[in-house]
Amino acid sequence: MGAVSLSLLAAGCGNDSSVADAAAAKTVSYWLWDANQLPGYEACARQFEKGNPGLKVDISQIGWDDYWTKLTASMIAGTEPDVFTDHITKFAQFADLNVLAPLDELPATKGIKDSDYQPGLAASWVGKDGHRYGSPKDWDTVAMFYNKKLTDAAGVSADTLNSLAWNPDDGGTFEKTLAHLTIDTKGRRGDEPGFDKHNVATYGLATNDAGSADGQTQWSAFAGSAGWSYTDKKAWGTHYNYDDPAFQSTIEWYFGLAEKGYLAPFKEFSRSNGPDIQLGAGKAAIALHGSWMTKTFYGLKGIEARTALTPIGPSGKRATMLNGLADSLTKRAADKPAAQKWVAYLGSEECQKTVGTFGIVFPATKSGTDAAIAAYKKDGIDVTAFTKPVADGTTFPFPITDYAADVAALMNPAMQDVYANGKPASGLTETNSQINLILGQSK
Amino acid sequence: MTVASTVMTKRKPADGSKHADADGGSKPAGADRGDGLLAALFIAPAMFGFVVFLAWPTLRGIYLSFTRYNLLTPAEWVGLDNYRRMVNDPIFWSSLRVTVEYVFINIGVQTVAALCIAVLMQRLTKSSFLRGIVLTPYLVSNVVAGVVWLWILDTQLGIGNQILGALGFDHVAFLASNEWVIPSIALINVWRHVGYTALLLFAGLQAIPGDVYEAARVDGSGELRTFWKISLPLLRPVLAVVMIMTVIGSFQVFDTVAVATPGPGGPANASNVLQLYIYSSAFGRFQFGYASAMSVALLAVLSVITIVQYRLTRAGESDLG
Amino acid sequence: MSVLTPPPPTSPSAPAPEPAPEPAPRTTAEVRRRTRRTLPSPGRMLAWTVMGGIVLITLLPFYWIVRTALSSNTALTTDPSSPLPVDFSWGGFERVFGLQSTEEALAQGGSGGSLNFWRYLFNSTIVATMVTVCQVMFSAMAAYAFARLRWRGRDKVFGLFLAGLMVPAIFTLLPNFVLIKQLGLIDTLTGIALPTMFMTPFAVFFLRQFFMNLPRELEEAALLDGAGKVRIFFQLLLPTAAAPMMTLGILTYITAWNDYFWPLMVSYSDSSRVLTVALNIFRSQTPQSGTDWAGLMAATLVAALPMLLLFGVFARRIVNSIGFTGIK
Repeated sequence: MGAVSLSLLAAGCGNDSSVADAAAAKTVSYWLWDANQLPGYEACARQFEKGNPGLKVDISQIGWDDYWTKLTASMIAGTEPDVFTDHITKFAQFADLNVLAPLDELPATKGIKDSDYQPGLAASWVGKDGHRYGSPKDWDTVAMFYNKKLTDAAGVSADTLNSLAWNPDDGGTFEKTLAHLTIDTKGRRGDEPGFDKHNVATYGLATNDAGSADGQTQWSAFAGSAGWSYTDKKAWGTHYNYDDPAFQSTIEWYFGLAEKGYLAPFKEFSRSNGPDIQLGAGKAAIALHGSWMTKTFYGLKGIEARTALTPIGPSGKRATMLNGLADSLTKRAADKPAAQKWVAYLGSEECQKTVGTFGIVFPATKSGTDAAIAAYKKDGIDVTAFTKPVADGTTFPFPITDYAADVAALMNPAMQDVYANGKPASGLTETNSQINLILGQSK
Repeated sequence: MTVASTVMTKRKPADGSKHADADGGSKPAGADRGDGLLAALFIAPAMFGFVVFLAWPTLRGIYLSFTRYNLLTPAEWVGLDNYRRMVNDPIFWSSLRVTVEYVFINIGVQTVAALCIAVLMQRLTKSSFLRGIVLTPYLVSNVVAGVVWLWILDTQLGIGNQILGALGFDHVAFLASNEWVIPSIALINVWRHVGYTALLLFAGLQAIPGDVYEAARVDGSGELRTFWKISLPLLRPVLAVVMIMTVIGSFQVFDTVAVATPGPGGPANASNVLQLYIYSSAFGRFQFGYASAMSVALLAVLSVITIVQYRLTRAGESDLG
Repeated sequence: MSVLTPPPPTSPSAPAPEPAPEPAPRTTAEVRRRTRRTLPSPGRMLAWTVMGGIVLITLLPFYWIVRTALSSNTALTTDPSSPLPVDFSWGGFERVFGLQSTEEALAQGGSGGSLNFWRYLFNSTIVATMVTVCQVMFSAMAAYAFARLRWRGRDKVFGLFLAGLMVPAIFTLLPNFVLIKQLGLIDTLTGIALPTMFMTPFAVFFLRQFFMNLPRELEEAALLDGAGKVRIFFQLLLPTAAAPMMTLGILTYITAWNDYFWPLMVSYSDSSRVLTVALNIFRSQTPQSGTDWAGLMAATLVAALPMLLLFGVFARRIVNSIGFTGIK
């Protein structure tokens, strides 16, 4: 993997360098999908421009639904951004397609060290070839958001919520609490006689699709705390474990909650009415969701949002997925000193601290995280439920393998089949072998 | 009237060559003193657009269906691999089935509803205000129609289900259950397109000469009978063309599904229509070669259906002439 | 055979073969039909009820857009069945026009993004106009050549054009994109308009139907007078074709205005962004997050408004001009 001389994008469009006029060389284009983070990065850009007179950062925000298609199209057209926000499930494919610059070989970014960031974050962005393709920008974990009005009315305290435990046999205190928080249309609670599970007014747990391959904000905290892991290796696994009985019994139990009436069934809320909307509408008491949604939940009218730790599982421990985004540099922009500088700046203490003060996400550096915690605190939001797992080391990473898009394409319908159509989780064994077949293909 | 009758007589000579797809070979009468140069001039811009933006991309797509192509590195010839994979791909077949189901519901309901509206407008009121109203949904884009209906049809929070609930019905998971998702998408698209279709049919009805109705009235024929015996048969050529056009469009349903179904394409693969599967293979999984092979299949399906439909409805003939 | 409109030759009063901008001419038959179209009373009642239902279903979603747009996004779900806006607020519209600070917008569940409305309106108008004017003009010329000129291979070529109808849109997407890139037209309004500017199979088909139905006497008389065919086309036939061209133009304009995916791919900056693409910023922002329903509906309304206004002004002309001019 040597020089950056390969002519990429040979798809009938050649190697176009017409953009390299003087003005363009001084302007860095940057893409992100999360509009909530736009103000933070705009502030960073202003600081960057101040510190580097003559350079300019041009930020575009494109919604997630179209982000990747447009990014791919832009790479074909040669209009791709110099730097873009990257997702862990996507970077392997882009690295394979040879469109990302290895940051460890560039002067401005080769100094990125794993230890500069919260543990585990930077390592995820090292490709199978050993090169670093992303500079960590933030991290997130999953916790329970709940509506304090409803838990108070049910007599469930914050301490109780923070010390729940589950198991696949009887569901443990977690399932009992969900049952108690569930109320049918006649006002009977889920643990009371005569409870009508077909006419539920408030579900204990909000629904959020079936979770596809990772179940990040659905079942990952349960599967993880059952001691299960996605693949045979921590990174770049060659074999998925969806056929593991520990996984399948977790899934069976988790989606079984819907049949008992405690978890909102798949069919009850359509695609754009996620857990935040269900909580806001008073249709659910608890929602498992990511830290990036904190401001959204706390901003809902008519409810009092709080957070609690995910339950302890059969393994005797909690487990929450730790994931993070990173900034990738496109290969075409690798020769551009301004673009390199911007990537490096995005990963710097200064920028991450700035982003932190907006209190939307947790920046990847320690000081950035502290700034975010302080910003949340100023708004009266306690984010311990998200930070404690990191401090305690009870986190696990997002699965990183080749063929992530194919894995998702197979798992998404398969998991929906279990959740929406009541198919047995044992059917996932078949899906798993299809997935492993794909992973076994030579590249 | 002379205009009409000359249309009839004058057009005859050219009729033999009307349908190029049916018989392309015959030369128009008097081709010897042709207008070749002039025609070339007149057709040049359209021809340019056709070749550059339609024909060439199609040929290129057919070529790519024989390759493995990830969009960013050069395509690599793999022969029939993609087609072999397609034949053995259960998701492809389920997509095709789902798409056909969608087309049946969409076209069935839309055609009947449009006919109804057209007849109502013709027999009840010709108010252009009313005709304007039924056309309004056509003014919003598919994406917007999908988003709005997603909001209206939510099982718990949508006004549609709130109304059902108030009337004493159970909630229906319009866009989140296997059995409803395709009918719902089909009906959403009926909502958007039915006014337009109705106006085309209305124009067709308007063109049926009044004395035909007059004769029916003299015979004492009722409204329904008149419709079956006169309006419908005389409308058939318009109806046939409208249906061919709408079926072709219907097979390419995409936006609404992409916006409004869980997944999208769910639950499971219940609404994974062909065009969505093609799209996600191409842009989600970088399998452009395979996506192209499926596009070729779609092209083939559309061609067969169009020809069959054309033959069945005898689109070229009117009972009037 | 084949023409929709021509009456039996014996007919004393034929409606004109093309729907004129005004409803079919008031011939005697038309007048008779009007006096006679009364349905029996119960039947009429039923028919009016059905019509009422249709109008309701057609318009209700529009009302719901307005109602949602005027609600406060964070309170919206607390009362899903309220027929009136929940916690009335102009917030959605303020976000669309960028009148709220980003922080305010975020607090209300918005994205902090706004529409540079006038710019996008301008862009949408330019694109839709370019596509419409050129496509209709070029298609009319081709249609004339297919319908009225005699040349070798005419019907084969027309068949080929017609077969283009069946090409799935996704097929042409990528090659066209690469081509636009090679022409250096990425991120330009021309780049967005170009692929549909020259023809669509439907447009050619549609107009060819019209020209085929025109009496040949028209041209032949002019030819005898020594007029060239080019002049005949531009001075005689085109004005006659005003009505169907208007129909086609309106349909093309609507389609071009509502196109989403193609402009999304081609446009990279404000200079070429059209309204439909701009709507995107009000849709889901992260893989899993809430939707700014109020902002999205307000944006939807704002994006559709120019169309609706245009339609409101020309509704009569538009609906009267829609129709096939003759089907073969």
